[in-house]
Amino acid sequence: MAVSPLVAPATSSPFKRQPSAVPSSNGNGTPRLLQNSNNNNSNNNNRPAPNSNNTLPMTLDPIEQLNEDEKRKYVKGKKLGEGTYANVYLGHARHDPSVLVAIKKIKVQQQYQDGMAPDAVRELKYLRELHHPNIISLVSVFSSKDQNLNLVLEYLPLGDLEMLIRDVDRVRYGAGDIKAWMGMLARAVWFCHDNFVLHRDIKPNNLLIAADGEVKLADFGLARAFADPGRRMTANVITRWYRPPELLFGARHYSGAVDVWSVGMVFAELIIRAPFLAGNTEVEQIALICKQIGTPTEDNWPGVTQLREYTVPTDVVAVWGKEAYMGRFGAVGADGVDLLVKTVALDPKKRITAREMLEHRWWRTDPKPTRKEDLPRKSSGGEEKMAADLKRRPGIVEEEARGAKVARKLDFGQSK
Amino acid sequence: MATEDARYRQSSQYQLWSFSPTRLAAMRDKTNAAARARIAERLSSLPALSNNTSAPTSSANTPNADGSSTPALPEFLTPPEEAQLVTFFTSELLRAGDHAEMSDDIKATAAAFFRRFYVTNSIMTYPPQEMLFVALFFGCKAEGTFVSIAEFGKTFDREHPEDILAGEFLLCQGLRFAIDVKHPFRALRGATMELATLPDIDRNRLAAAEHRAREVLRFSPLITDAYFHYTPSQIMLAALSLADRGLTERLMTQTFHHVAPPPDNSGADTPASSGPDGPAPATKRGPPRGSEDKAQIIGPHIRDQVLGTIEACRNLLARELPERREHWSDRAVLKAQVTPLRKKLSKCRDPDRWNLVELQRVRREQAAKRADSEEADPAPPGAAAANNTAAGDGTVFGDALAPREVKRRRVLDDPFGGPL
Ligand SMILES: Nc1ncnc2c1ncn2[C@@H]1O[C@H](COP(=O)(O)OP(=O)(O)OP(=O)(O)O)[C@@H](O)[C@H]1O
Ligand SMILES: [Mg+2]
Repeated sequence: MAVSPLVAPATSSPFKRQPSAVPSSNGNGTPRLLQNSNNNNSNNNNRPAPNSNNTLPMTLDPIEQLNEDEKRKYVKGKKLGEGTYANVYLGHARHDPSVLVAIKKIKVQQQYQDGMAPDAVRELKYLRELHHPNIISLVSVFSSKDQNLNLVLEYLPLGDLEMLIRDVDRVRYGAGDIKAWMGMLARAVWFCHDNFVLHRDIKPNNLLIAADGEVKLADFGLARAFADPGRRMTANVITRWYRPPELLFGARHYSGAVDVWSVGMVFAELIIRAPFLAGNTEVEQIALICKQIGTPTEDNWPGVTQLREYTVPTDVVAVWGKEAYMGRFGAVGADGVDLLVKTVALDPKKRITAREMLEHRWWRTDPKPTRKEDLPRKSSGGEEKMAADLKRRPGIVEEEARGAKVARKLDFGQSK
Repeated sequence: MATEDARYRQSSQYQLWSFSPTRLAAMRDKTNAAARARIAERLSSLPALSNNTSAPTSSANTPNADGSSTPALPEFLTPPEEAQLVTFFTSELLRAGDHAEMSDDIKATAAAFFRRFYVTNSIMTYPPQEMLFVALFFGCKAEGTFVSIAEFGKTFDREHPEDILAGEFLLCQGLRFAIDVKHPFRALRGATMELATLPDIDRNRLAAAEHRAREVLRFSPLITDAYFHYTPSQIMLAALSLADRGLTERLMTQTFHHVAPPPDNSGADTPASSGPDGPAPATKRGPPRGSEDKAQIIGPHIRDQVLGTIEACRNLLARELPERREHWSDRAVLKAQVTPLRKKLSKCRDPDRWNLVELQRVRREQAAKRADSEEADPAPPGAAAANNTAAGDGTVFGDALAPREVKRRRVLDDPFGGPL
């Protein structure tokens, strides 16, 4: 009897700390899931086939039963929306129809043939552990037909921050409101980082709003744990408009500072009610950063020129000081602008940390943050109208969605 | 340390996968008994042409004198025998992980997955030789390394690597979808760094201790029940003390030096006191769990208790020191201790569960049928019956995820304190 699962050593391992080759994920060279019944005899002919002729009904094991019970606790309703890797449905508890949930059903992906998709694994892993009022909570998990993963999430009926920002005609808000929203976002990000989790996709449409006005960070499909020092990560994360310069320059070692930059971009967008730096390509994104914030150089960011993809426009722009922001962002006051400027420090080492953000004096100065019950809400004009409004703004929503998809797709093959 | 413990108590590792030794043993007994009953039932309902035993004897299926067929039931594995095999296969898993040059985190996560899975599933039900690869494959993913199944299969020279995928969802379910495992590696780095700040510590000695402790962490806690009983920092301290007891005592002195006298912090401990047992219906959880487990996990303030806990963990780890790697692949040992059990296993395994590929196919078929019938009828036929089964079997797991997760906890460490 062969007792060892081992074979002759492979020449290079795909599991090493620093994978050299990026494994293909799009099916090149990856055999499709074969028809099971065909390959299984040749594979191991002393494995008895189950009594497949009288398989129905096959009794359920405890885990299977538990899953059935969990699944039966919820009734799935209408579709709420569709993301890159999941469809989201409204649901309610079977025992009490007033308890609403969102059921996120992971799509079976054609281009990912290697079992449970990376987004699903990441979202499951982190949401399962992170319990915080400003992070969407995972209520349950079950599998449905075809072994689809279903994440039961708290239902967040009031849309997302993007809807509020964009609905300029009907949604009015002021500095106290922005302070409240930013405060909730900052806490969520701090909590992630304090638990060694990077979100890596912070943007207004991933900030969902609960019935009581609480903002909840959602969509952990790109999240990962902080890497051990020296370990490389993929630079291809975060939707372009919210992506910090170190990632645009291809940094493979980075920290919570990447999320903080995104927080800064959301902050700016809340104030000016349009994406602050909306590049159509990565090159354009870098150009916008250089123009609006300043050109990264060895002077303001030692080591930056060593990053793999460091290229900046030739006419160097000096980093803008606080005063320069006052005109466009002054609505949040000098203290608010001070915080904003600190979140968009070019050098990630000099960028404010999530914890320092929470300690910033802006929160304590007037105006006080609006109580969450009193925060502006999306207009009750109906979601269809909303969707139509979004479509009328060419380039904005569509471009962003595409950016997100690109980041996702390329990330599949990467280690982390 | 206190903060870390409060955080730890919110983790799925603590809430779902921490048990006292008594409780763990009881769960395993129950799993074993349930598997025996189910397998016996399934075997006896099989048509008597038995390819379900790998070594059928010529007489096994011969009609008796009275003409009736007697598919004689095999001898089943006992709980200690199951435990022995799980340990053996864990060592195989670690060897496979070494072979593939996987990171410490991946191997440790995979090992934890494997052992967790076999708390509530019998090794007679699902094939350990397959599940160890499933655990490794999914362990890679859980640690953020997404490698294709083809590549994975190549590393282990598997002819049909996609078979491994057939077990992935099963594993996830068995883990109750809690796929984050907390390890002691980071804590060891922290401890070493703290020791390095002390004035009179010999660098070489410290480096040697860290090295040895890491070696221990790579094996001993993974192949024993340490992860079920102790927190990552307790395991780390136990490993460090195996490496260098003196240094560990220095570290402990240092730690207690910093800890204020037990703060009677009623506020800060709120979530703990409602703890994992808090919102749960009392009937669902056996009595041993609450008090005993907490005694081991809470309480860094009480020095003696901590020392006692670390000593106990140390003793557990000492049973499987890294040198035992050789033990588990030694031919003589295998022949004497493992091979007989594997032979026995091959005769008593579950005929309906052993082939994961086929099992997945059947499950999908069933699910499709169920889904169809559910569409027609909101309460599927058989639902009531199914629930009865659950009442018997389901209690193997503590509570369902929902009640605890729905409940919002006050967050301890938000420097903001209350609302803005
Ligand atoms: N908890 C929830 N409560 C209410 N609606 C939700 C909830 N989660 C998601 N939705 C809705 O479902 C849609 C899809 O969500 P999902 O997070 O899968 O994708 P997305 O973030 O829109 O897109 P992508 O995956 O490309 O980032 C969201 O846009 C939102 O309208
Ligand atoms: Mg999203």
